[in-house]
Amino acid sequence: MSLWVDKFRPRTLDDLHYHERLSARLKSLAASGDFPHMLFYGPSGAGKKTRITCTLRQLFGPGVEKLKIDQRVFLTPSKRKIEVNLVTSNFHIEITPSEAGNYDRVVIQELLKEIAQTQQVDLNAKQRFKVVIINEADSLSRDAQAALRRTMEKYMSNMRVILCANSTSRLIAPIKSRCLLMRVPAPSDSEMETVLTHVAKRAYFDLPPEVAQDIIKDSGGNMRKAVLVLEALKMQSPDLSGPLTIAKSDWESYCQKIANLIVTEQTPARVMEIRTKFYELLSHCIPPTVILKTVAEAVVSQVDETLKAEIIHWAAFYEVRMRIGSKKIYHLEAWVVKVMSLYKQSFYQFDISDF
Amino acid sequence: MALFVSNGLLGPPALDKPTAESLFTLNGLLGPSLASASVSAAGPSDQFLQNGPVSEASNNIQVGPTFTPNGLLSSGTLERAHVSVESDEDSSPTAAQAVGIRTQNNLRYLIPAKTFDGKAVYFNRKPKITKQKGSLRGSARMANLLDVPIHRLIDAISVETAAKLQEADHQSVASTPDPQTTEDTLWVDRYRPRQFADLMGNERVAREVMAWVKQWDWCVFGKTQGKKRPRDDDQEYDTGDEYRRPREKLLLLSGPPGLGKTSLAHVIARQAGYEVMEINASDARSGSVVDDRIRPALESGRAVGSTKPVLLIIDEIDGATGTGENSSTFIHKLVHLTQDKTSRKGRSKNRDPNAKRPILRPIICICNDQNAASLAKLRPHCLQIRFARPADIHTVKRLREVCTIEGLKADSRAITTLVGIARGDLRGCLNTLQFIKSRNQDVTEAIIRRATVGMKEAETSLVSVINGLFTPLTQKRVKELGMTEVEESKYVVRLSREIDGCGRESSIAVGCFAHYATLHQHDATFSRYEKANEWLITFDLLSAAMYSDGDFALSPYIPYTLVPFYPLFKERNGQRVERSVVDWESQVQTRANQEIYKSLARCLQAASTRHGGDYRHFSSTPVLQLEFAPYINRIISPPLRPVNSQVIKPEERVLLARLVDIMATLELQFFQERTEDGQLAYRLDPPIDVFITYDGKRAADIPVSRYAVRHLVAGEIEAQLIARKVDVVERGKRGKHDSLFGKSSTANSGHREPASSPTKASDGVATPPNKRARTQVPAVDIADKPPTDFFGRLITVQSSSTTKAAARKNVEKKYRVTYRFNEGNSAAVRKPMKMNSFM
Repeated sequence: MSLWVDKFRPRTLDDLHYHERLSARLKSLAASGDFPHMLFYGPSGAGKKTRITCTLRQLFGPGVEKLKIDQRVFLTPSKRKIEVNLVTSNFHIEITPSEAGNYDRVVIQELLKEIAQTQQVDLNAKQRFKVVIINEADSLSRDAQAALRRTMEKYMSNMRVILCANSTSRLIAPIKSRCLLMRVPAPSDSEMETVLTHVAKRAYFDLPPEVAQDIIKDSGGNMRKAVLVLEALKMQSPDLSGPLTIAKSDWESYCQKIANLIVTEQTPARVMEIRTKFYELLSHCIPPTVILKTVAEAVVSQVDETLKAEIIHWAAFYEVRMRIGSKKIYHLEAWVVKVMSLYKQSFYQFDISDF
Repeated sequence: MALFVSNGLLGPPALDKPTAESLFTLNGLLGPSLASASVSAAGPSDQFLQNGPVSEASNNIQVGPTFTPNGLLSSGTLERAHVSVESDEDSSPTAAQAVGIRTQNNLRYLIPAKTFDGKAVYFNRKPKITKQKGSLRGSARMANLLDVPIHRLIDAISVETAAKLQEADHQSVASTPDPQTTEDTLWVDRYRPRQFADLMGNERVAREVMAWVKQWDWCVFGKTQGKKRPRDDDQEYDTGDEYRRPREKLLLLSGPPGLGKTSLAHVIARQAGYEVMEINASDARSGSVVDDRIRPALESGRAVGSTKPVLLIIDEIDGATGTGENSSTFIHKLVHLTQDKTSRKGRSKNRDPNAKRPILRPIICICNDQNAASLAKLRPHCLQIRFARPADIHTVKRLREVCTIEGLKADSRAITTLVGIARGDLRGCLNTLQFIKSRNQDVTEAIIRRATVGMKEAETSLVSVINGLFTPLTQKRVKELGMTEVEESKYVVRLSREIDGCGRESSIAVGCFAHYATLHQHDATFSRYEKANEWLITFDLLSAAMYSDGDFALSPYIPYTLVPFYPLFKERNGQRVERSVVDWESQVQTRANQEIYKSLARCLQAASTRHGGDYRHFSSTPVLQLEFAPYINRIISPPLRPVNSQVIKPEERVLLARLVDIMATLELQFFQERTEDGQLAYRLDPPIDVFITYDGKRAADIPVSRYAVRHLVAGEIEAQLIARKVDVVERGKRGKHDSLFGKSSTANSGHREPASSPTKASDGVATPPNKRARTQVPAVDIADKPPTDFFGRLITVQSSSTTKAAARKNVEKKYRVTYRFNEGNSAAVRKPMKMNSFM
């Protein structure tokens, strides 16, 4: 049995609940017979992948839903074996090159060439080309992107590439210019509510509107998260009555706790306390950039107006360094110390460093 | 030293060439004389001691400046049989003892012991220390009498002697060419301790090691040996162990180089009657060595061509393989070796010759760095004994003795300096002295300084480097290194060299990071903290750039980025920096959690293959950790009451069914386990509940499901998984039958007995006959179900979603009646049925 997120995922472009203009555009593109390379981008949980699969279905018919999932082993130049999961149908192939880490170039080169050099053999296929979906395109290394750009032009007749990314900023310009950019914005609150009530209806229960509002407020435009929360809520309190608390994910509440610690006291002992908390979060494999961002947002919501810009500035500053550096905890703590010193200075309304 | 030899019982004298005039022979001479003479206890010790300086004056030219009463005795009263022995105090006499003397007087001070071959041996009780005390007391007394402080006097004497030595040397060099110019052995070897009594300094350590080795006696030498002394039966051995081995089967000796760890191990092993087998860095130390060499030796119990039992010494074990998770590393295998239990007791005759037998011989491991990463696995299984640097005075004394024997004129200040610089490294000191001797020089401070220039930068341990960053040099060390004030204040070069010499910059950075915030220093604006963090980040960026780009030209700059911690945080008398394990533990934890995420991702992939790619979007990196892991935990913990699955309410049944479906799809299972206190508990596997556990506490909004609930769920999941497996098998069989025998399956169905109940009819069409017996069993259970459920809509929803991809398209047809056969763990057959097949 699948989770609701998958079970009630729209299968066709017509089923989609929001961004109708985008759906219409995709439909006409699929019908035109002149399908370009595409780049879907937008925040997590906005519905990029759903739209991609819907588009594929529009292109090739229900045959694309017959999926086969297997692993392929690629050999790096240094003879290391890396395994990559492939999701394939007769008409398309879906890969996540970031699974291969630094060796994503190898995957792109070998796999794309192989696909590009074989023509579609199924005579009944609606289209003459195959589609390659590349997930998490923004984490492609520069080498991999460079490997991609020529392939995209050269084998245009046999293959289309659909890239899926959170933001375009880390894609090199040549790739962006070869693609049709499709922005999938996060759904608005009312759109989310329609989706949630739709899900509830399909699952045979009534969703009280206030609960829906709570969920929407908590999910921050992330549809996937909203549906997961809904399912968790339904599972934990099946009759949806009584005082309902929307489950916040644990790492988020933990980040909130850290922010409170920063604001309430600024001492070396507190620094140590926060450090152990950061270690705890990091050991739960929460990405450090996410930690920094979440804590910074939580801190900002609690401090004086004048400090807000400053704190976010330093968060950004240390996040950049963190991405370059290797030992994340140093950067997290450096930011905490910075914020503490800023906070203290503003709290006493003068610059203590003169003394 | 002198006293130990005096016993003369333990073996040949420690020193190769006893010269008649020296202190050392005193005992040999005294021994027999004492045997005949009646030892009279005469005179209070104080009086005796006071004689010291007086008689010293008469003979210090021959013997050198000695303050010990011994010295006096030897030279002054050697010929006489009457030796006055202090006996009033419990501090021991300094007289030597011959074998087997059993004078009542002496027994009080002697410790009887037996050697391996049964000879009786008597040890003096702590003679060294009392001697020390005596002399100190004497000097203290003198301090009151003299108007010049004693240390000034000593200084003056040493300068004087140095001068005299020089003079004498000039003459001797002029007159005779040194006969000993060619030396064939290293002094280190020549003065290596040969017996237990020769061991210097760490008496406690030596005794602890000996005690541990002795604990093996029962196991190695049989019952008789250990039984004799009742005080040995103090439950030191592992009571559960049939061989009565000690609890820790390994001994880990650790300590800085040159203190004599290896020598100690060898001496003790020999003393305890073992033959030593040594494995050190010169041997290959991969995991296979354990199997190829160590195990056979330990199992046979004897070295080749020897009658003594073998004792294994693994030297420099910190260099062995063992860091990784790999189970074939040396350390891993070694730990395994010690843990082998005799699963089949020795009684059972027909035991497997290949079965691993337990080790019955002691193993001593020796390393420098106790905290080496490769030893992490080993440490919990070891008795750890740390070798500390012995008090300088012992080392100095031993060195002086050596110098006397070798005829090297040594000035005691110089030797003290040498020991200070070498930080107690006796081997290094001996080598330096030999080197000086080979150049026919005298040992003076200047020469020592020149000879030990390189020693200052000797390899430094991680902890000492970090300590150096947070504490200024002590005055003592400054003096030892002979630095001027200006030199002392220049810290950058010194510290950066130290850091560079250690070669583990990233560990030092972690150490600094762990320590700086624990210092209780007033820092109102966090300005120092900011600076420290700036430097840490600079370090991190630099080293990250270096490692990621392979740009190792940057490495000379790296030590400098850590030096600023010294001006920022240096603190005299600050607490010593201990090695922090927080970072390491967090890394280990991270790795463990990554594994769990990986297995969860694998589960997701497996689920997505079975469900047409449904779960695949969850397994990408940030989504899995940030969204899926927290919420799946909530989804799989609904509020179920712990009641029998037969009597639960319909709505709960739906909940349960859904829970079981999801968990079975994701291959999440509850495994029964016995906790430490013996209670049964169900554990989630893969343990994804760690992701909602922060600071050791579960998320507050998720109730811990009770044992009974988990039991219920676990049973259902198992049933479903088995059903699924059977399904696959059935389908495979059917395919085979179809291809091989054509219509055999339909033929089978013809043979079937007429359906007496819907259950039997349900597997009528395609089940091969060997299933028949089983299908009859669960008919009773069906009756227990409430009839409303039997054809009810609830069941329909459930089963429609669980049927395989083929049935998926039919989900939307609402009123299709399905019969679901799924009871208990009976591996029953389950398949969708049409209504008319029941009619």
